[in-house]
Amino acid sequence: MVDLDKLRTVAKETVSRDDVKYLIGWSQGTFGFRVSPHFVKEPEEVDSLTFSPLCCNNLATYLTLTEKNPVPRGEEADTRKVALMVKGCDSRAVVQQLVEHGVGRDQVYIIGCPCEGVVDVKKVEKKFGELLEPVQASWENGKVSFQLPGGQVESLPREEVLAQNCLTCRYPNPVVSDILLWDEVEVKGNDDYEDVKELESKSSQDKWAYWQDKFTSCIRCYSCRNVCPLCYCEDCILDRLNPTWVFRSTNVAENTAFQMARAFHLAGRCIECGECERVCPVDIPLMKINRKLYKEVHEKYEFEPGLDPETKPFQASYRPDDKEDFIL
Amino acid sequence: MSDKFEPNIVAFLCNWCSYAGADLAGTSRIQYPPNLHIVRVMCTGRVNPLFVVNAFQQGADGVLVSGCHPGDCHYMEGNYYARRRFTLIRELLEYVGVDPKRFHMSWVSASEGAKWKDVVEEVVENAKAAGPFDQFRRNKINW
Repeated sequence: MVDLDKLRTVAKETVSRDDVKYLIGWSQGTFGFRVSPHFVKEPEEVDSLTFSPLCCNNLATYLTLTEKNPVPRGEEADTRKVALMVKGCDSRAVVQQLVEHGVGRDQVYIIGCPCEGVVDVKKVEKKFGELLEPVQASWENGKVSFQLPGGQVESLPREEVLAQNCLTCRYPNPVVSDILLWDEVEVKGNDDYEDVKELESKSSQDKWAYWQDKFTSCIRCYSCRNVCPLCYCEDCILDRLNPTWVFRSTNVAENTAFQMARAFHLAGRCIECGECERVCPVDIPLMKINRKLYKEVHEKYEFEPGLDPETKPFQASYRPDDKEDFIL
Repeated sequence: MSDKFEPNIVAFLCNWCSYAGADLAGTSRIQYPPNLHIVRVMCTGRVNPLFVVNAFQQGADGVLVSGCHPGDCHYMEGNYYARRRFTLIRELLEYVGVDPKRFHMSWVSASEGAKWKDVVEEVVENAKAAGPFDQFRRNKINW
């Protein structure tokens, strides 16, 4: 069960530590169902921290977004840790960053929050409309209850409001943490990749018709890349001019190349947090591509990213007996 | 000039095996279809899967990646990495709707001139069956 008092006590203790720079958590947003990431630097600020079914942001993104300025002469680099609140999926992103040495284990202090699944804001806004006053939410025996601005309380079954990737989530508990805030939750989801299999079974023309329709609407805002906790290359091929891998024009050819490059760079790395799909302003089903590659890697190579910090990255390792049935 | 469709095929060949194999086929006067545009790379591990996407964008009707047999790589393990990558990019291309007949990978060693001919014939035949590629070509866009 979510225990906000414990969360705030632990946060206070953590921020007070000498070896912690700041803590990243969630706090109530300014309107509607929004929750915003909160950077806590002083122990007094912890009271605004919260954890609820609305905390959909994957905070692992901020670990690699930190600006690394050169250290002025005569000063020493700040080697203090960053404390981070993680749900199950966020912790897998951290593990994958540890695997790739994107972040060091001694640079991060992980506070685990076992999570029963977060809501899809698009789904709830369809039910309640876009509200201006902040809304509170909590988990209650398989249901999510919302305290709406007028004081009324509405409970909805989790299947109706939770994000799709939370309904199929197999790792709701943090796989790595320095401290766990409350008891681990029961694993309810199971992923059978039904939507992926359905699309796979179609003909090439139908598949292309489907994706052409989706990719044409892409406006190339790169939100999916920016929000992804694992897209943190300092020199991204999408920003490069020489060679220009993907032109900047938004047409179906370049959009397809962009989406394939993005999906491929996440093959064997994507931990299915669903952030890319959540932030997409034109609702491209990005997880459908990511999940396809996740499924292939899982089925063909029995590999799942983001579970063990000691494994080697998928695309930087091999087994001599890997399958090669299509090779002439 | 006949109206028959002749596919453009981009072939990425590794310097140590497949390129030498193609060379052997040439010096042995083995006849094979002339649709290939060969790009010599030092190893199949050098081929970025985005090369394949880019080749399709720039007008290829088919792509072939060919290298040393597993265990024979000049750089010990380059083709093992390539094998994983191209298995995935092949699945991805197929998932997006590109005909699986357009992308091929093969192992051809320096002594397999005859096998090279068979591979090229199969690749060209498949690309012909798939027809001209216009799904995400750069110059065929309806603005």
